[in-house]
Amino acid sequence: MTAIADRPVASGLAKLGAIFRRDALVAISYPGNFALSWLAIFVEVVVAWYIAQLIPASPKFGETGAAVSYFQFLAVNSAFVRFQSAALNSFADSIRDAQLTGTLEIVLATPTQLPTLVLSSALWSFTYTSMQTALYLGVAVLFGLNLGHVNLLTAFVFLILTVCAVSPLGVLAAALSMVIKKTGPVEWISTASAQLFGGVYLPLKSLPVALQFLGWLLPITHALNGFRAAVAGVPLSGVAYDAIWLVIASLVLMPFSLWVFAKSVGKARVDGTLSMY
Amino acid sequence: MLTVEHVDKSFPVAHGPGAMLRSLTGQKIPRRQVLFDVNLRVGQGELFGLLGPNGAGKSTLLKLLATLTIADSGRMTIDGIDVQRDPLAAKRRIGLCTSDERSFYFRLSARQNMEFFGALMGLSGKYLRKRIDECIELVDLREYLDQRFGGYSSGMRVRLAVARALLADPAILFLDEPTRAVDPVHAEELRALVRRNLVNGAGKTVILATNLLDEAWELCDRVAVVNHGRIVALGPPKELDVDLGAVLRYRVTLDDVDDDLLTRTRTVPGFRDLRIVRTERGVDLHVEMEARDGSLGALMRAVSWNGSTLRDFRPVEAEPVDVFKKVTLHDDGDR
Repeated sequence: MTAIADRPVASGLAKLGAIFRRDALVAISYPGNFALSWLAIFVEVVVAWYIAQLIPASPKFGETGAAVSYFQFLAVNSAFVRFQSAALNSFADSIRDAQLTGTLEIVLATPTQLPTLVLSSALWSFTYTSMQTALYLGVAVLFGLNLGHVNLLTAFVFLILTVCAVSPLGVLAAALSMVIKKTGPVEWISTASAQLFGGVYLPLKSLPVALQFLGWLLPITHALNGFRAAVAGVPLSGVAYDAIWLVIASLVLMPFSLWVFAKSVGKARVDGTLSMY
Repeated sequence: MLTVEHVDKSFPVAHGPGAMLRSLTGQKIPRRQVLFDVNLRVGQGELFGLLGPNGAGKSTLLKLLATLTIADSGRMTIDGIDVQRDPLAAKRRIGLCTSDERSFYFRLSARQNMEFFGALMGLSGKYLRKRIDECIELVDLREYLDQRFGGYSSGMRVRLAVARALLADPAILFLDEPTRAVDPVHAEELRALVRRNLVNGAGKTVILATNLLDEAWELCDRVAVVNHGRIVALGPPKELDVDLGAVLRYRVTLDDVDDDLLTRTRTVPGFRDLRIVRTERGVDLHVEMEARDGSLGALMRAVSWNGSTLRDFRPVEAEPVDVFKKVTLHDDGDR
């Protein structure tokens, strides 16, 4: 065997790259779907812009106390909430696709660590989501989104923290998928609750206190706070509370979700249901 | 060296949220045992057959060895490595070819698939490309390497699965019904590849699960006949034949038979079994007897005593199918 198998880091990175390449190749092998997913972004921005025309600007939509247009608020939230959708769907979809195509057992029969397999299964999805988010923001600029004050450091840090904090939710969905095989309703409920309580469409402050608390519990709430602040030019220190919340969530949820996932794979191995779907 | 010691395996009969809820509330979920106290020892460079009808437990045993499922009890080792305690190390020594002919990404070419699985096996760069070329050449798929897997025929898919199992040059190969969907010409080539190149040439250990008797008999050094989760016979095919050869078999063709004749036949010294087959030319009695002095004469007298016309009387040689039926039917009779 080649020397790379004896170098765990190099071997791990090569496996990461192989999984990323596989997912990218599969995605672009559906050119129609691939093209339409980009086209859909234009439609989403236009719809957001029309809805925003019905709602007057308000300080409630901003981070600095100045009146901000609803389009500014909605466009930033809609662009970045994609990361939560990507996390929730990509891990579980990856497991389910592997069950459907019959590749799961073969992949698990290779000498690859479980965390490498599960975490890298969302690499392409996050990369693709980043590109789509960039396009969304680019199109939104044409409709009046102001990106003139963006604090790039804040945006970058929150991008990393968001991926780290929402990924465990996806890994947990994947673990559930391993046991109950279909997780459609779970993903739908998670996405809907994030949109309602996470402040995608409405500022959290305008919700009842109980719902505000629910929203506070969701990583996406803090992620969106950070992204809106980054777009408004707020430095990292201005949103340190949200950043720390995301760091703690990542540190707690990531090992927990990987542990649950390993347990679910273990249960599937005991029950002989790895390849069932 | 591969060992299996006292392995039992059962699966729950209920799955899904209902079963999960029952499990969480402390209720026991009934399980169906699929392997019973399985013991095996396979030497290096041996071509070992697991032969049995569908559902006998062959694939489950392979999945246990490939770390894809976990035994209820017992121990399995591959080159001294405990499969269940150190699965990663065990996986580095095995190549798996499942009976699921999908197991590839349909939208990717065979080359892209092989590159992906090769990387997961820890191969990279020039070495990976070299191995892909070598393995693809072995299964005669070179000209289809850049074709999408979705366009492959069933036989080509199986051959690609064999090539994938060989990619990391593993010491032990698990082949689960590799010739199941392959045309006769390529099936013969695959068997030759396994015997000539992999076992005789490269000294690999191959565990071949099959329900094709002739394949197991012709190809394997030793065969374990598996039925209802138990190993009911184990040994070199020829020895299994010899074991069975201790039983004499005769086909007796008569115009007709009556109860008296059948009773007399069944009371012949050493009588073991009688099967009656009605044909256009009369009735064939397939008689099995232990080899005892005088038993052949007693049988001849028994079938020619009354008015029935004896048309033919000849010994029958043991066929693999006889061995298989013998051990599996005997096992069925025991339960």
